[in-house]
Amino acid sequence: MEEQVGSIWHNFITNLADKNYPEAQVKLKDIKKTIGIFFRALGGDGNLVVVQTDASEYKSERSLLRRIARNTEKYEFTWVDENSLRLPEVIDCFAQPSLNKDLYLWLAALASVDKQDDSWIVDNQLRTQIVLDAFPGLKAIYARLLSAHIEQRPNLDKISKSELPVEKAVLDALNNPGSVKQLPNSKYMPRPVVLWLHPNPPELANSNIKDYGDSDNTRTDKQKDATEIGKKQAKRVETPEHDRGLITVRMENIFTWGEFANMDRSVDDDEDPDNAKDVAKDMDEMAIARNQRASKTQIKFDLDLPAESLDDEVLDDGVLLPEWDWKQQILVEDKCRVVSMISSDKDNAELPEHLKATAKKLRNQFQAITPARTWHYKQTDGQDIDLDAYLKYKADLLAGHNDNSENLYKELNSGARDLSCLLLADLSLSTDTWVNNDSRVIDVIQDSLYLFAESLNATGDRFGMYGFSSRKTNPIRIHTLKGFDEQYGKNIRTRIASIKPGYYTRMGAGIRHATNLLKEQVATQQLLLILTDGKPNDLDMYEGRYGLEDTKQAILAARELGLKVFCVTIDEKANDYLPNLFGSNNYALIKKITDLPKSLPTLYARLTL
Amino acid sequence: MSTDTQDNLPFYQPQSNEVELFEHAYNNQLPLLIKGPTGCGKTRFIRHMAAKLGRKLYTVACHDDLTAADLVGRHLINEKGTYWCDGPLTRAVREGAICYLDEVVEARKDTTVVLHPLTDDRRILPIERTGETLEAPDEFMLVVSYNPGYQNLLKGMKPSTRQRFSAMSFDFPDSATEVYVLLAESDIDKDMAQKLVNLANSMRALKDHDLEEAASTRLLIYTATLISSGMSVTDACRAALVEPLTDDKETIDALMQVVEAMLGS
Repeated sequence: MEEQVGSIWHNFITNLADKNYPEAQVKLKDIKKTIGIFFRALGGDGNLVVVQTDASEYKSERSLLRRIARNTEKYEFTWVDENSLRLPEVIDCFAQPSLNKDLYLWLAALASVDKQDDSWIVDNQLRTQIVLDAFPGLKAIYARLLSAHIEQRPNLDKISKSELPVEKAVLDALNNPGSVKQLPNSKYMPRPVVLWLHPNPPELANSNIKDYGDSDNTRTDKQKDATEIGKKQAKRVETPEHDRGLITVRMENIFTWGEFANMDRSVDDDEDPDNAKDVAKDMDEMAIARNQRASKTQIKFDLDLPAESLDDEVLDDGVLLPEWDWKQQILVEDKCRVVSMISSDKDNAELPEHLKATAKKLRNQFQAITPARTWHYKQTDGQDIDLDAYLKYKADLLAGHNDNSENLYKELNSGARDLSCLLLADLSLSTDTWVNNDSRVIDVIQDSLYLFAESLNATGDRFGMYGFSSRKTNPIRIHTLKGFDEQYGKNIRTRIASIKPGYYTRMGAGIRHATNLLKEQVATQQLLLILTDGKPNDLDMYEGRYGLEDTKQAILAARELGLKVFCVTIDEKANDYLPNLFGSNNYALIKKITDLPKSLPTLYARLTL
Repeated sequence: MSTDTQDNLPFYQPQSNEVELFEHAYNNQLPLLIKGPTGCGKTRFIRHMAAKLGRKLYTVACHDDLTAADLVGRHLINEKGTYWCDGPLTRAVREGAICYLDEVVEARKDTTVVLHPLTDDRRILPIERTGETLEAPDEFMLVVSYNPGYQNLLKGMKPSTRQRFSAMSFDFPDSATEVYVLLAESDIDKDMAQKLVNLANSMRALKDHDLEEAASTRLLIYTATLISSGMSVTDACRAALVEPLTDDKETIDALMQVVEAMLGS
């Protein structure tokens, strides 16, 4: 009973203290695309991805009600880091949705300007000035937001004396950007200014990043997902000494676990990423302990390596390929070693029973679209006279009929297909995920490969199919499923049947290798089709922006050689990063994964007709 | 087929030395290849040059099904029987005119092969169907253009065809030139022209990422024309600058926000 009363009281007070307007809220996910385009058009870096930020603890003077409600003061601020533009997940500070949306636009506009000054207050004023000068249309938005925000700021009469100068300075800075040169000294932080960027964005300490060896970077995709739920400000803490007994953990830690959640896998191997997500959301700062010892995940990973006898046969010593380093903006020659592999299974696999009907339908469809270049007779217009029709017309004319004077020409209709296509499938470990009770992503990819091969075999287009996965730069494994010169048949089906998930996705190297293979094919049209389930990523620094930039360079290089590059993905978040890689018209997101096998051949037809 | 004359010279504001280069190519009977994005002024430039040089201009917009017969000519039928009808290329050769093949990569590669004998030092056009061989007079000039940005690629030009041309690249004019072009082509004031050019440059930054093609000078001129004929700035931008570039609703919304931010008052 006491508990119930307590929680009612808590809710009541919290609501009173809450100055937000949930009914007018605007969610980032609904206007992400708009914000992204707006940000880029105003001069923001096109390589940045728009993501949600997370609340940071903010110590300023709280109102009495809030103190009673025990709301920790948390605000979501906007800032830009090397990979992303971070914006609040939801904005609901104003009563009208239009103002909340304007605030998103305003913050994106501020973020599109480079950092001007080290002082928070000066920097924001300068940015405001620059934005207002460059984009006069934003003046109206700023004025609206300003008056709404000033209304929400505390009344100057009602705040303590010691806070007064600070609040005054902020008001001056808002009303006359550029007028305040520094923040007056005070024990209080100014109250949050929703119109400004993060007062103290987490620094990108490059030196710290370098300290991390590859050893503690072996998160699986799922675990990485968990950390992406809300980007936390990382603060390094000492690794707990786990040779202490369990009971020696100081008891107060149990109540303040928000300050240190044990993510150290060597101490507690919590496999459930969802659990970690929940914990992460409630924490102010995620403390990440460094641990030089190989963790269990690392050991497990190595156990995943197939024994040599079970692994595919290695065809050659490997080819060296370059890789793009965006930080240095150079192409590092011979960075990656690519080895070609081929399945050593010798079964004669048949097409799986459940695909037979679909395959037959697709074969028929694809045979029908194979065009041949033929003469079309009796046309109203054409490059040559249809002599037969003309003779008949003349004879009819002599005989006194004159009703067929139109269709006297013949036309050679175009349509001969001269096309090579290479399908590059991502066979990384993430394809091991289950999509429903019956199949994993890899099974869906397998079905897709079968149907794709059946369809293309019917058209007579030249095609090759390759799979790829990688383990850092050496080796990048390219599995030959079907070479361009091989006939599709039992042996190819056997190879498709033997694909299995493994390792990571170093997409740039995969694309470069595929480009080289495709380039050797003589055809007027060359299509490189990439089938993937996620972002480029690998064990080393090949994730985030590094991987994206390298992949982008590989795609640009392929396009320069005249290849058409198209990506088919099943990653629901693909709309965030694929437009930057492939261009907004050169990828397709298949929302329902199980549709992939049927969609892939159809997509191919659409691309090449 | 254009009838521009020297008195009625179509307006063209040079970006660099293209006028000079064209004249040199013309005087020395070299065929010319012009590359550049849609709406940056390629066609206008050629019309301008044709009028300046006092030559008639034959323009052919190339497409997938363009055949050699469409260029060279064909037999047609009337009540008396068949007769030969020159295609635009043949006519240009006979008259010593300038023949301009727009978006030449759109044509099938075997079609463009008929250009080969015209584009080397022989400068002849054999007409297979009539048994005629035309020799091109010195005044005849062949100009082709294409847009290398189209990812429709692979339709790229055959290297053996491409090698026969002298070539130059066009791009959107720099800011000052583009403002000047807008002022010359429409009745807006300089301030507005500058704003429109800034807007276009912002939108060009979105090429390949959010938009397939960059906002062209031509679209800017349309926008300026709509504004000077009395439409509101926002409506004109939506109609002539935003809607033509994309069909995606969210992208349109975002671009309109950019328009508001840059041109709103």
